[in-house]
Amino acid sequence: MRTRLSILTWPKPKGGPHHAICHYCDTVHVAEPIPEGSRANCILCGATLFQNRPASLARVTSFSLTALLLMLVVHTAPFVSMDAGGMWTELTLPGAAKALIDDGTPLVGFGVALFTIVTPLILAGGLVYVCGPLMLGRLAPGAMFVTRWMSRSEPWNMIEVFLLGVLVSLLKLGKVAELHFGIGFWAFAGLMFCMAGAVAAIDKRELWDRLEVARGG
Amino acid sequence: MSQFNGKEVVRGLETGLAGCHVCEKVAPISAVNCPRCGSHLHLRKRDSIARTMALVAAAAVMYVPANLLPILTTRELGISTESTIVAGLVQFWNAGSYPIAIVIFTASILIPLLKIVALLWLCAAAKGILSHSAKLLGRVYWVTELLGRWSMVDIFVVAVLVTMVQLGNYMSITPGPGALAFAGVVMLTMFAAMSFDPKLLWDQLLSEEIETPTSQPPSKSE
Repeated sequence: MRTRLSILTWPKPKGGPHHAICHYCDTVHVAEPIPEGSRANCILCGATLFQNRPASLARVTSFSLTALLLMLVVHTAPFVSMDAGGMWTELTLPGAAKALIDDGTPLVGFGVALFTIVTPLILAGGLVYVCGPLMLGRLAPGAMFVTRWMSRSEPWNMIEVFLLGVLVSLLKLGKVAELHFGIGFWAFAGLMFCMAGAVAAIDKRELWDRLEVARGG
Repeated sequence: MSQFNGKEVVRGLETGLAGCHVCEKVAPISAVNCPRCGSHLHLRKRDSIARTMALVAAAAVMYVPANLLPILTTRELGISTESTIVAGLVQFWNAGSYPIAIVIFTASILIPLLKIVALLWLCAAAKGILSHSAKLLGRVYWVTELLGRWSMVDIFVVAVLVTMVQLGNYMSITPGPGALAFAGVVMLTMFAAMSFDPKLLWDQLLSEEIETPTSQPPSKSE
C-alpha cells in the first residue's frame, strides 16, 4: 500500500464530485482526473486550472532535496571574488544582506535576506518535509501548516531575480577589476533550476489532495 | 447559470461555492472555514478594490523618492558621487552596455510604472468605469503578478555592489535612501496585485446577463 502511493497518480479524496473553481473568472468545474502530463483549462477564460505532473512526488522531493544541499554550498562558498589592485573582496549571499544592514539600510538588508535566504529555505525545506513522507503515504506532523506557509511565501522567492542582479553588477564591475567565479556562483545557478523544478513539479491542487488522502479523507 | 458567448457557465458566486485561496478545496461559503486547511473562505477577496487602490496610491507616492533619491553613493578617492536609478541607467547606456541598460530600464522603471497603470486600469474596469474584455484583462493581471518580482533586480545590484566594492580609501559604495523607497515600491505593487481579485472583472462583465444575482455584486451602479 505504502509503495503504491508514491507512484499512484493524483489520488482523489473520498467523496465527490470534486470541483475546481477558476481563480480568474470564478467558473465552477467538475474536476475529473486527467492523464499525467496534461492540463485542464477553464472553459470560460482559458486559464490553467490544474496540471497533472508525471512522477510529481519523486520529482518534488529530489529537486527540493538537491536545492537544500546546494543551499549549504551557496551560503558557505563565495560567489565571486574580486581582485582590485591587490585588494580582495568576495560576495556571499549572507554577506550581501549583512553589508546592507551594516551600511545604513537595515530594512533593505532584511528584505534581501528574506527574499533570497529565508523564503527559498522555507520552500525547499517545506517541500522535502511534506513530500518525502507523502511518498510513503504518511502525513508529516504539521504538514498542512507547513504547506500553508509554503504557498504564502512562494511569491517572495526571488533567487532568479538575485542571479540577474549578480550578473548585471558583475558586468559593471568587470570593467574595473578582475573577477573570479567561485563554487558558490555555480551552486546558486543550480539552486535556481532546482527551485524552479521543485515548485513546478507538483500542482498545488494535487499536493493538497494528497495531503487530504494521507490524512484519511 | 450564466450565459457568455453562448456558453453556459456556473459561477461560484451564484452557487455559493468558494474555492479556498490556500488549498483550492471547493466548499460552500456557509462553512465559513475551509474544511481541508482551516483557512477563512471567501467568494471574493475582501475590499479588493479599496485595498488595491490604497496600495497602488502608496506605491505611486513612493515612486517619487525612489527615483529622486540616490540609490547608492560611490566614494572614490575621497570624492562622493550619489547616483539615482536613472543616473545608473544613463551610465550603462553611455558606456555602450545597451542590453544591461535595457534590462535595468525595464525592471526598474517600466515594470513598476506599468504595474501601477495596469492595476488602476483593472480597478476601473472592475468598477465598470471602463468597458473591457475580461479575458484580456485577466491576462494583464496574470502578467502583472508574474513580472512584479523582477523589479527587485536593482536592489540586488545595490546589494552586490555594496558588498564587493569595499576597497578602503580607494573606492567604496554605500546604499542610499532611494534603495529603501524603491524596495517599498516593489513590495507595495506586489501586495496591490495580490489584493486585486480578477473575478470582479467577470462579475462586472456578466452582471448585465445575470438576472438575479444572489450575493451582492461587488460593483453597484444598476
